[in-house]
Amino acid sequence: MTLALREGRTTLRNLHQVSPLRALFPTPERDEALTLALVNTGGGLAGGDHLRIMIEAEVGARATISAPAAEKIYRSLGPPSRIDCALQLGAGAVMEWIPQETILFDGARLQRRISADLAAGARLLAAETLVFGRAARGEAFTRGALRDSWRIRRDGVLVWADGVAVDPPRALGNRFGFAGAESLATLLFCGDEAPAMQALLREAGAQVTLPTRGLVVARWLGAARDVRRGLGSAIGLVRAAVFGLPARLPRLWTA
Amino acid sequence: MATRMIMATAITTTMTTEDFARLLAWTSPAYPVGAYTYSHGIEAAVEDGAVCDAATLAAYIRTVLHDGAGHIDGALCAAAIAAVDDAALDAIAELAFAWRGTAETALESTAQGNAFALVTMAAWPDAGFAAFCARHPKRLAHASAFGAACRFAAIPPRDAVFAYLTAFAANLTSAGVRLVPLGQTDGQRVTAGLLPAITAATEAALAADLDDLGTASPMIDLFSMRHETQYTRLFRS
Repeated sequence: MTLALREGRTTLRNLHQVSPLRALFPTPERDEALTLALVNTGGGLAGGDHLRIMIEAEVGARATISAPAAEKIYRSLGPPSRIDCALQLGAGAVMEWIPQETILFDGARLQRRISADLAAGARLLAAETLVFGRAARGEAFTRGALRDSWRIRRDGVLVWADGVAVDPPRALGNRFGFAGAESLATLLFCGDEAPAMQALLREAGAQVTLPTRGLVVARWLGAARDVRRGLGSAIGLVRAAVFGLPARLPRLWTA
Repeated sequence: MATRMIMATAITTTMTTEDFARLLAWTSPAYPVGAYTYSHGIEAAVEDGAVCDAATLAAYIRTVLHDGAGHIDGALCAAAIAAVDDAALDAIAELAFAWRGTAETALESTAQGNAFALVTMAAWPDAGFAAFCARHPKRLAHASAFGAACRFAAIPPRDAVFAYLTAFAANLTSAGVRLVPLGQTDGQRVTAGLLPAITAATEAALAADLDDLGTASPMIDLFSMRHETQYTRLFRS
């Protein structure tokens, strides 16, 4: 999918989509950027399913990409469920990649790769939440595997690489691993305002760090509800301070 | 990885006494990379009470080795030694430099990496290693600088990774001994007790695929983040 700036407004330039993934464009609320809702009409991913997402925001485009529901990863009988997500931001483009939680059912096997390439002056706010087992049902993630990798490039240079590998899930109970937490959320902001965002998020009580110039990372680990609340308020702070968007989550998250 | 399988047959697997001498020197606490100034978050974990004795210190370090930076560094070090050519080695160096859990663990890795490059070029000159360092000025992680030096010296990867992780674990034990505090003998018991974990972490590093590399230690990242704002600090990480 390509989003382009035309006469001061971000519009869809081209879109190629294959079931079960659908892109919807709900009418943005006032003050919101072009909002894109990714919907998995299959309801979730089974073992062997593979989603590929490529979104390009051209020079100066602004877009918020989210989802109206959590992504569910079902128990796999063997092969992994795969998600490959590539985000490209042209010069001065602004993108929010803020889907809701990814819920790993017990026995799920997820292999996810997220990459973002930012040209000069582009800014990205990305947030991802993993939930281990269906917390509301008291289900834990005791079998299965997770491989989650992130690669961020600025001006063609790899600036941040990270990954989570939970395979098998024994580290979830380790007090120096996940300490029994139901959920892990990661917020990443890439752009020249990163140091100011670190100060802002730290002031708000978030666990935050600046691993490299121009990139701030915050993490939440704990009960799914607390993680969602912490991440949600942090997203609001960053989008308001940097993008001039409302200091709250898009309605997709709360409707 | 197919490339590594091919290389494995070409790489020497028997360590010479000269290799052994290099590994002893390069992993010695006396090698001037400033290792003693880094605790990898242990200082925050001690302040928190999560690390409070020999058993909890050992559990922390085991997590680093199995599921944290030890696994990543071991895999990067092994991959650097097995790199088929300069381009592959450079890609590993770039990945290692970008692999940054937190600001302070990044400082820990890169400050030691750059210092390792300088002293190794001066004391153990090698044209290939010098050219490699020149291509990554002040952009070297410790694991990839160490791995590259071992590659140009043709040191077998298993021995190199084992030595690297042994030194990493011993350095964190030493930080714990000072911070908890523990007696020197208790510290050595921790070191001896970590041997199976270091052996297992070495094998895991040799088998790792760089595209799917990951950690399972967010608590250690959180301790490291908390250390950034800790009021009293002896260590740089």
